[in-house]
Amino acid sequence: MTRKINLDLSSVENREMRLGSIISWDGSASELAEASNYDIRGQKRTGEGGGCAGKKGPGCKLCELNMPFNQQTMCNHSIVGCQVGNIPDCILIEHSPIGCSAIHPRFNLGYRIGLMRRGKEVKNLQIVSTNLLERDMVFGASDKLRRSIRDAYERFNPKAIFISMSCSTAIIGEDIESIAMEMEGELNIPVIPLFCEGFRSKHWSTGFDISQHGVVRQIVNKNPQKQKDLINIVALWGTDYFTELLKPLGLRVNYLIDMASFDELAQASEAAATATFCHTLGSYMATALEEKYGVPQVNASQPYGFAGTDDWLRAIAKIMGKEEIIEEYIASEHARVLPKIQELREKLKGIKGFVSTGSSYAHGMISVLRELGIEVNGSIVFHHDPVYDSGHTEQNTLKHLVDNYGDIEHFTVSKTQQFQFYGLLKRVNPDFIIIRHNGLAPLAAKVGIPAFAMGDEHFPVGYDGIIRVGEALIEILARKKFNQVLQRHVKLPYTDWWLSQADPFILAKHPEILEEGKQ
Amino acid sequence: MTEKKKVKKSNSIVHSRYGCAIGAVNSVAAIPRGIPIANCGPGCADKQYFMLSFSNGFQGAGYSGGGALPSSNIGENEIVFGGQNKLDDLIKSALKIMDGDLFVVLTGCAGELIGDDVGAVVKGYQEKGYPVVYAEAAGFKGNNLIGHEIVVKAIIDQYVGDYNGEKEKGLINLWFEVPYFHTNWRGDYIEIKRILEGAGFKVQVLFGSEAKGPDEWKGIPKAQFNLVVSPWVGLETAEHLKEKYDQPFLHIPIIPIGEEATTAFVRKVVDFAGIDKEKSEAFIEEEAARYYYFLEHFSEFFSEYWFGLPAKFTTVADAAYNLAITKFFTDQVGLIPVRQIITDNTPEKYRDRIRELYRNISEGISLEVDFIEDGYQIEAEVKKVDYGSSVPLILGSSWEDDVVKELGGILVPISTPVTSEVVINRSYIGYNGALTLLEKVYSATVK
Ligand code: SF4
Repeated sequence: MTRKINLDLSSVENREMRLGSIISWDGSASELAEASNYDIRGQKRTGEGGGCAGKKGPGCKLCELNMPFNQQTMCNHSIVGCQVGNIPDCILIEHSPIGCSAIHPRFNLGYRIGLMRRGKEVKNLQIVSTNLLERDMVFGASDKLRRSIRDAYERFNPKAIFISMSCSTAIIGEDIESIAMEMEGELNIPVIPLFCEGFRSKHWSTGFDISQHGVVRQIVNKNPQKQKDLINIVALWGTDYFTELLKPLGLRVNYLIDMASFDELAQASEAAATATFCHTLGSYMATALEEKYGVPQVNASQPYGFAGTDDWLRAIAKIMGKEEIIEEYIASEHARVLPKIQELREKLKGIKGFVSTGSSYAHGMISVLRELGIEVNGSIVFHHDPVYDSGHTEQNTLKHLVDNYGDIEHFTVSKTQQFQFYGLLKRVNPDFIIIRHNGLAPLAAKVGIPAFAMGDEHFPVGYDGIIRVGEALIEILARKKFNQVLQRHVKLPYTDWWLSQADPFILAKHPEILEEGKQ
Repeated sequence: MTEKKKVKKSNSIVHSRYGCAIGAVNSVAAIPRGIPIANCGPGCADKQYFMLSFSNGFQGAGYSGGGALPSSNIGENEIVFGGQNKLDDLIKSALKIMDGDLFVVLTGCAGELIGDDVGAVVKGYQEKGYPVVYAEAAGFKGNNLIGHEIVVKAIIDQYVGDYNGEKEKGLINLWFEVPYFHTNWRGDYIEIKRILEGAGFKVQVLFGSEAKGPDEWKGIPKAQFNLVVSPWVGLETAEHLKEKYDQPFLHIPIIPIGEEATTAFVRKVVDFAGIDKEKSEAFIEEEAARYYYFLEHFSEFFSEYWFGLPAKFTTVADAAYNLAITKFFTDQVGLIPVRQIITDNTPEKYRDRIRELYRNISEGISLEVDFIEDGYQIEAEVKKVDYGSSVPLILGSSWEDDVVKELGGILVPISTPVTSEVVINRSYIGYNGALTLLEKVYSATVK
């Protein structure tokens, strides 16, 4: 089998190149599932067939709607900051001017809450900026980087040091790889260069891959002693619901990467399996661990709703050789949660929802809403991966959603573009939105729609996740009062002309409209 | 600086307390109907939003900031082939989509390093009469305070333009706190405007809820003078305006807090302007009466509270808030300042003047202030201080949370970033704000 992930290289191929990911598209979920050609792309990734991803053969390239207008978004440099910057006994050095580090207070909030959720000591995040200035852009900044690496080592005594590249240091051609090697020799701890400059990939999720690549390449234990009851869960900062869910299978959970210690990361190669709450996030790491260390990844969609959770548990049981106990567990869980879910379905009758989150997480989230009987006719994903790194057909989350829960009429790919959000909401008039990432909820708020900020991404996981979401939604829906006040009194920053456009992608299809002069 | 200290000095910063120059997108968003356009990598403007707005009292970004903010999100293609076309598309569509009266293009690191001629792109629009200006605000040029002044100058030069008309007596341009960066700026602008108007002035505040939008900016050259209420930010603007419109300026480096300081402030501005004193004196009388009505009540708590109050305090903040708040607690409340750290990377040329202000902070009290930007060193310094027998009071940022916990002290957030409070229209300055500040500090004490 050809290797999908090359751990010999320090840098990672962007998602758009590797997977054919897109950030701008509009149509129905079933159309996107079909256009994605997951199976054919997957064969290419597993080397089994004549797939086409990466080659851009005809019929395989997903058409994108290129808009001339964009609003601020996140970048993969930020993602690296909130991934490897969240390892308590390692230090990240951002090789950049200070502005690239301006999001740290926000990351600190998430990090502290994450530490609390995992029962670890709550402390401030420590990420070092090399704090570059104008003259460094002219004369180079390698000595400042060396200095910051030594500072980090002396101040924090870390078990590993990561270095992240930024827009400016990439353009001036800083050689962070050589410096990393040199300093690794000097300090005798892993020093890990990460090529995550903001302009590098059109979507921030490449930053997850870059972080995971660095961890698997330079931290993970190269001579693993297998731990048969250990399961990796590639996660973010979510509450530990997985321990409970996997207890009947006798598994211990090893969360990666946020808040994990160096040793917890190192033992990733020793686990019996790797799973995740979201393939968008976890697929790269799971695949790398599978290829390099034979840690099998869970071949299923994701643990959301009855169908998703059932399949997911079965797939894990299969890896663990515990198929004989799983059906009984599943049946008893269904029986346990169903009465409560029926109750919630009654209460939520006639309610319409809209999901706007990262890619495959949205697929899971919509399943949960539909389990609750909530109508979902529209959704945004911030990008779309037509295939995941594993290439495994069973992980085709979008298809799983459409097959098990039906189509979504308006399924949009848009990278937190607020100006499009107005039109997208108007098409379906939801009663609430579920949101991750910033930028969109403020607009919904001003058109009378309350937002459920899904800050704890594990909240909807598993059977109990359905109940948790249903109960929380009842509280969120009450906020409509507040949003209606706003709607009555606050103006949006868009022109009437734009707000009257029926198609939020009109400018991609008819850019000539812009030539007519202002209104 | 001694040789030894120089060697120890490092470039590294952890726990940063400001954004980069491109953070001034938030200054543009603070002008009613102003629309910032970020010409930089994806992520730049987002990061600045998180430092200056979200993680700073959860202020919200308002009309055109945050998720609404147009950005060129420069990608690999632009790095290789140049970003002028993409920027041109962006401006063209922003003019059609965004409902605003003034568009300001700020170029960040990527845009500047690849050498795009942003000026040429923008001039095309200016020549057609569109209200678009551009500013070079790459992050490596400096922090968001520097960026703020770069943007203000760009708007004055490219949008306000030349003026030969009359000046209006009693009309002031206010150059004051930096929007979003100063956590309480929205409330502070309201209070300072209230005070100046109460004293008989008309004030062009330019930013925030009391501002009037780009038309008010057009009125800048008409003002009798510029009033800079800040230790250093705004001075370049005032110098520039002096040159450009032959407009004098009055520099008051310490933002007034409390009745005595605020009354002195009012008298100074009135004297400088030469306007009639009757109105201002009547205003002062009324304000003072109210202030002391409340202070009298507060004094009972202050003198009778059995269970211990803080005596020694440390301030960790940018120059403006640090100076104002240190002065108030030292000079008006009688707390003992033990460590003052300015965190905003004040340009070298202003530092000596600021040091002098600390040396004369109150009768019989002379302080040595430090300028440190690296959070690691700042927190180590805060920890080193001897707070004596009472509970340590630290007026700082949320980064000081851990060290204050270790000290068993009280943290009252006054500087970026603030993630433990939601700030709406609160102010700690002037007559009313001083009372709020007392409320805040002593509520934290009795909690
Ligand atoms: S320092 Fe430069 S690259 Fe970093 S956020 Fe600021 S403008 Fe962007």
